[in-house]
Amino acid sequence: MFMAALILMISTGLFFFYLQALCQKILRRQFTQEFSQSIVNANRLEFPSIRKAIEDLGATVEYPRLALTLKCDFLALTYLLKNAANVNQRYSYEERLLILYFKVVFVAMVSRHLLKLREAPAALKLTAILEYFANVVGERVNTVRFGNLTASDYLLNL
Amino acid sequence: MSDLLLTSGLQYAGYVVEAIICLLLIWQGRWRRLRVLCLYVASLFLLDGVARSASLSFFGQRSIQYYYFYWVTDVALALGAFLLVCGFFRRAFSQDEKRWSFVRLSLVAVFVIVLGVSALSLTRHYANLYTLFMIEFSQNLYFSCLVLNTFLYVMIQQLEIEDDELGLLVCGLGVQFAGEAAGLALVHITVGQTFATNLFGFLNPVCTLGMLFIWIYAIGKTPQTVPVRSKLGNKARLVEAVAD
Repeated sequence: MFMAALILMISTGLFFFYLQALCQKILRRQFTQEFSQSIVNANRLEFPSIRKAIEDLGATVEYPRLALTLKCDFLALTYLLKNAANVNQRYSYEERLLILYFKVVFVAMVSRHLLKLREAPAALKLTAILEYFANVVGERVNTVRFGNLTASDYLLNL
Repeated sequence: MSDLLLTSGLQYAGYVVEAIICLLLIWQGRWRRLRVLCLYVASLFLLDGVARSASLSFFGQRSIQYYYFYWVTDVALALGAFLLVCGFFRRAFSQDEKRWSFVRLSLVAVFVIVLGVSALSLTRHYANLYTLFMIEFSQNLYFSCLVLNTFLYVMIQQLEIEDDELGLLVCGLGVQFAGEAAGLALVHITVGQTFATNLFGFLNPVCTLGMLFIWIYAIGKTPQTVPVRSKLGNKARLVEAVAD
């Protein structure tokens, strides 16, 4: 019985560990260029400033503002993921998985705050997910507008 | 009834995805590089999907022949899983022969230990030796595969081996092993209560499907350009671009 309980605990832990590792692998995808910046600017998203504040300055961002900002950016980006330059108007499987991952990490961040633990690591993970979403949206928008052509190629081919 | 329908649906979906992976590997010509993976998926499809279903329909669920066939194929699949993990280790250390020779010895030692521990359990149960050994052996081998797989994942991270495909393949295998081991342990703890058995029946095909989808993602993962085409004409797009 003791061995079975031990195996159950270890296996359950490993199951979630592998799911998290998978999400991290997806987030490590290299984009051909930095697409996220234009999306951030166009939609006035705030997650880069939050990340900068946490990473560079080590500043503690006020928690209610942090949670609200991340939530708002998440809603904006998921809307764009579904509707901006997306002919099928639905999420891909990896996007669905990352949306779920965002929600789990968000709950973890809230729990850490309630337990008076540092929420910065969870917040950094959330910003990484948001950056990935912004990159995907940016890449799509870029593909729609110019295909594989540069701006000058595009004009010449008209 | 609905539980059975759902579980069967998930199982058949798994067989379809297994066939798709085999075709994908052959069609993309990746089967040479991923030979062990291709063999494992093919054996999973042939043994679990084709042979077990044929044996079930031929002998019936409660027949002793099906019982034996099921456990023999389970041992074969456990051995296949172990070989797959060995194949992943080989790939991870393909540039480092020194480490590989050590890892190879360790893998052989793990296999011998699992064999020994499984045989030891027989001394307590002399009745029904054959099937008991098979069940014990396959369960021990699956759990050691889970441990080895996790060890491999940690080593990939520690040694900074830049092989995203291998990392994803290992993750997929880990999801399958961990889910199955957790389900089996739960069944053992609850002494086979209906809730745990049903959960395990549902969890097992879900984890297999999860593993297969992760593998498809790993195999098909190339720098993606999203094939989205605007419905606007070229001039209209230019106007839009200039306006932006």
